[in-house]
Amino acid sequence: MMQPKSADPMSRYRPSAELIAILAVCALFVVVPALLNNDYLLNKVARYLVLGMLAMSLSLSWGYAGILNLGQAMSFGLGSYAMAMTLKLKTVPVHTGPQGLPDFMVWNNVAQLPWFWWPFESQTFAILAGIAIPAAVAAALGWFMFRGRVTGVYVAIITLAAMVVLNLVIIDQQQYTGGFNGITDLAQLELFGIAFDAYGRSTYYLVTICMAAALLGAYAFTRTKAGLIIQAIRDHESRVRYFGYDVGAYQIVAFALSAAIAGLAGMLYTIVMEFASPTFLGVQLSLSVVVWCAVGGRQSLLGALLGAILVAGVQGALSESATFLETWTLVMGGLFVLIVLFLPKGLAGLVSSLWALIRQRPFRPFRGVHGIGQTEGGA
Amino acid sequence: MNPYLQLSNVTVSFNGFLALNDLNLDVSKGELRCLIGPNGAGKTTALDLICGKVKQSAGSIVFNDTVLDGLEEHRIARAGIGRKFQVPSVFRELTVSDNLRVACAQHPGVFSNLRPGHRQADDEAVERLAELVGLTDQLKRPAAFLSHGQTQWLEIGMLVAQNAALILMDEPTAGMTAQETRKTADLFLRLKGRHTLIVVEHDMGFVKAIGDVISVMHLGQLLAQGSACEIEANPAVRKAYLGRGGITNA
Repeated sequence: MMQPKSADPMSRYRPSAELIAILAVCALFVVVPALLNNDYLLNKVARYLVLGMLAMSLSLSWGYAGILNLGQAMSFGLGSYAMAMTLKLKTVPVHTGPQGLPDFMVWNNVAQLPWFWWPFESQTFAILAGIAIPAAVAAALGWFMFRGRVTGVYVAIITLAAMVVLNLVIIDQQQYTGGFNGITDLAQLELFGIAFDAYGRSTYYLVTICMAAALLGAYAFTRTKAGLIIQAIRDHESRVRYFGYDVGAYQIVAFALSAAIAGLAGMLYTIVMEFASPTFLGVQLSLSVVVWCAVGGRQSLLGALLGAILVAGVQGALSESATFLETWTLVMGGLFVLIVLFLPKGLAGLVSSLWALIRQRPFRPFRGVHGIGQTEGGA
Repeated sequence: MNPYLQLSNVTVSFNGFLALNDLNLDVSKGELRCLIGPNGAGKTTALDLICGKVKQSAGSIVFNDTVLDGLEEHRIARAGIGRKFQVPSVFRELTVSDNLRVACAQHPGVFSNLRPGHRQADDEAVERLAELVGLTDQLKRPAAFLSHGQTQWLEIGMLVAQNAALILMDEPTAGMTAQETRKTADLFLRLKGRHTLIVVEHDMGFVKAIGDVISVMHLGQLLAQGSACEIEANPAVRKAYLGRGGITNA
């Protein structure tokens, strides 16, 4: 009688397997620089980590809240441009003199700095904006969609369309945005007296810390009651309403949180890549994120993160190898089809089924006793 | 005194078909009202209307001095109305305990539910509820694995968790064994008084066991109302059920 009762509260304070796995992965990425004495590779790992963060943010909205956002790269791009704008303005005194303009504006005969560039003189503003603007845009878009009870494929179409519109505007307004070329030739970010060189360890650690913070923050969100309710909404949206929950409000919060993380990832991407480009909010990247998420397991934050790192890593390796130079997209496409067909919960689903199998074997007789005890306690 | 729940002259039209036609229905506080009627009488539509799933084209609904006309579903739920659906509607991918946790909806606001630790606060309630509906040993399993009867019980448990003042039950004993049905009847009798219940049911044995007042609906209108004996003796009711083997086999 006593044992099952005391077993439950214990598990309440014990960290879940998911949390242990998250901490282990974060620890692993912290020690990577010690094992990898190559600045070029370190930059590459940092890049994959940022993409992992982006996939993780989609897992939050797609896997947990059931909102398939095909325009996840829009938030990523907004964050990326916010960082690029402030880093570009820092180069002005060097490139074109103290009263000058960013170089591409000079080439496009722009007379004075457009108003929306002004606040980006402040790096603090830019960093806040890189998170707040994507979140606010998502909240506004979400307000229209979820108040109007738009669901499923229509959400996918609207988000994709919104991203394409923004992408076209950025390309079109070349004099203010750098157009096709994006914003290049940036200064280094300096924070608390540390300069973040894209190929330095400081940048790698900045990315790792942000990734860990975002991952733990997203995990904490999924563990709150609101996190539970968004999963209930994913499962059976209308049923949740009859319990008194404002479904639209929950969807907007989840959607905006996901966008905020994607915005943070976008800022880091600018630092790691040393430029911002319209391709950062392009259809190709945005759909790749969906693939990474599906491969890793969209209902697992860690699964999506590792899925992105794995697929983007393999993609990188294949596209650089001589044997697969022509066929790597075919290989990736085949892999994706196989996983979607045979592992609907992605690699994370595979791991958790294997884990359950391993755990079950040695403890089977013990679990039987446990089960009987519980029934007695309940009756 | 005004009735607790009052439907006055409500009409619901589905593309011209009047599912409810000028229906009047009063329920007083603490009552357990059974709603019966032949297929297509509009029983489920009446429940759908009260909980906001469908909107009326005419008439008005007042619950506990609140006018429900045109309110969104979650506002109606917050006013104190809970609903159990005919096809058991639970969150199939979530575990039984998470289902019950979602149903503990005393604080429905999104920001109050962002605080950490809130989820644990419901744990005690979840254990108590699981015991009430006999699902203690199923707490960690996804609801999709439950049998039909267990799913019905889970949804009933969720309604108890929601602790709504007015509970609308649509065929709660469908798919249950005779023994489970008896247990359900016991539970409903316990809920009566603290909660007000409206139960749509076909099983006359069950209706007789739990109901004080029975309302009979036919063609979207209230046909008769009274105790089980009065209803069975009512010629209009007999006529409505004609050719269906009588009311007891409805």
